[in-house]
Amino acid sequence: MQDKTKVKHNRKMKRFCRKGIPAEYRPVAWMTLTNAESRMKMSPNLYRDLLARSIEPALEETIRLDLHRTFPDNIHFRSSDDFETLQVPLYNILKCIALKNPHVGYCQGLNFVTGLLLLIIKNEEKIFWLMDTLITEILPDFYNPNMKALKAEQELLGQIVKWKLPDVHDHLRILGVPWALIGTKWFICMYADVMPVETVLRIWDCVFYEGSKVLQRVAITLIALNKEKILACKDFPEAVDLIQKSVKQPPCLHCHNFMMHIFNEPGSFPRSRINSLRDTCFSEVT
Amino acid sequence: MSTMECEVDTNRTIEAKIVLLGSQAVGKTSVVIRYVGGMFSKHVSPTIGASFFTYKLTLDKYRIKLQVWDTAGQERFRSMAPMYYRKANAAMLVYDITCKDSYYDIKDWVKELKKNVETPIVMCLLGNKRDLEHKRRVSASEAQEYAKSIGAFFFETSALFNTGIDEAFFQMAQELVKICEMPNSGIRVLNCHGTDMEESELGSSIKLSNTKENAQNVDSETCLC
Repeated sequence: MQDKTKVKHNRKMKRFCRKGIPAEYRPVAWMTLTNAESRMKMSPNLYRDLLARSIEPALEETIRLDLHRTFPDNIHFRSSDDFETLQVPLYNILKCIALKNPHVGYCQGLNFVTGLLLLIIKNEEKIFWLMDTLITEILPDFYNPNMKALKAEQELLGQIVKWKLPDVHDHLRILGVPWALIGTKWFICMYADVMPVETVLRIWDCVFYEGSKVLQRVAITLIALNKEKILACKDFPEAVDLIQKSVKQPPCLHCHNFMMHIFNEPGSFPRSRINSLRDTCFSEVT
Repeated sequence: MSTMECEVDTNRTIEAKIVLLGSQAVGKTSVVIRYVGGMFSKHVSPTIGASFFTYKLTLDKYRIKLQVWDTAGQERFRSMAPMYYRKANAAMLVYDITCKDSYYDIKDWVKELKKNVETPIVMCLLGNKRDLEHKRRVSASEAQEYAKSIGAFFFETSALFNTGIDEAFFQMAQELVKICEMPNSGIRVLNCHGTDMEESELGSSIKLSNTKENAQNVDSETCLC
């Protein structure tokens, strides 16, 4: 590759990402796969400028309320006199995202995505650009205050279940389980603070290359792997409990097997069909 | 099919849904974890979407199964709230006694519930973080008066010190029992065999034609986020 900030989209690269990017290459791979690196190079001073600005007090307060609640069990995020807590760069990045994307501001969940990136990339400015790319290009409108795109994404999950697992779809409908109950945190956090970290990183390897479709593959796989158990559920609490616990079950811990599942289990997943289903869902969301 | 008659004072089961509403970081999740899990954690993550817990208790002749819905506090999740409070039988409106804005936000929730919930809803106002007395910004008397004006119960609570929470849930449960046999209460009442009771049966002796066992036994905690 001549230009190291551009990545060609081809089958080989897709396979490479699906097999898992080696940990030591992740920061550079994620930055280049998403084009965040080249966007950063195009505006070399932006992050520094944003950092110097202040934000309105209400927004600042909303972000601050979540800082000590982001991965509170992780030692790097604790407040301490002995070491630099990641709460500082976390605040900086969330603030700058809100300044650059005033229509988004701050949405709970961005703290978890940014927080996990801080453990991997360890460079504030790069994470800012990766997050900005995520919000504007990979998951457009996901974090908007009206939540329309997010709600549509949940309905899309319902449509995919209906297409791939019609009996599960019928059963959950009879029990009265709405899709929005299942997927909100899954999608907003891209499974961060939901699934085991290694599995999340493997999912992100693919999301950063293939896009949000991968999040749907994960969701349908979680449901498919538990199909028989879901069909045996007799009531709403039982079904919801089962689906929510599914993210911590053994199949999700073995990240390699799980990734094989997400690309095999749901079968064909053509982008054109997903996109047209998504458009329909979006137009129906109020 | 055999016909069986239940004793009037045989156990009945009621299934009710309680939703916790309130601003960001007032302690909704901590209140639920204290009540359902019997503990306090300093490390509680923000709730995204909603979490869902079940809790069982017995009151008089009733077994009560509570579905407790804990919701996200950030303003923008408001548009999802109707899904969570839909068909709720009770609402706990939580504010932080050290944060005046969180108290004012309750008024919007009350308006919204009154507008959108058709069945009767038992309301309980909770002033949480009572352990932070030195930072208090909302007086108990003011909140008490407001609660009275909207027909809500009122408790000040501390999830940290475990004060007021059991009392609040108990009061709600009592009220749910009181209204559950009224017509159109919206509360699901099951007879001793686990079958839904007809309205005509409620409040009188019951004739049954079903011996289906009450097989439900969910005492689980689910994160729905």
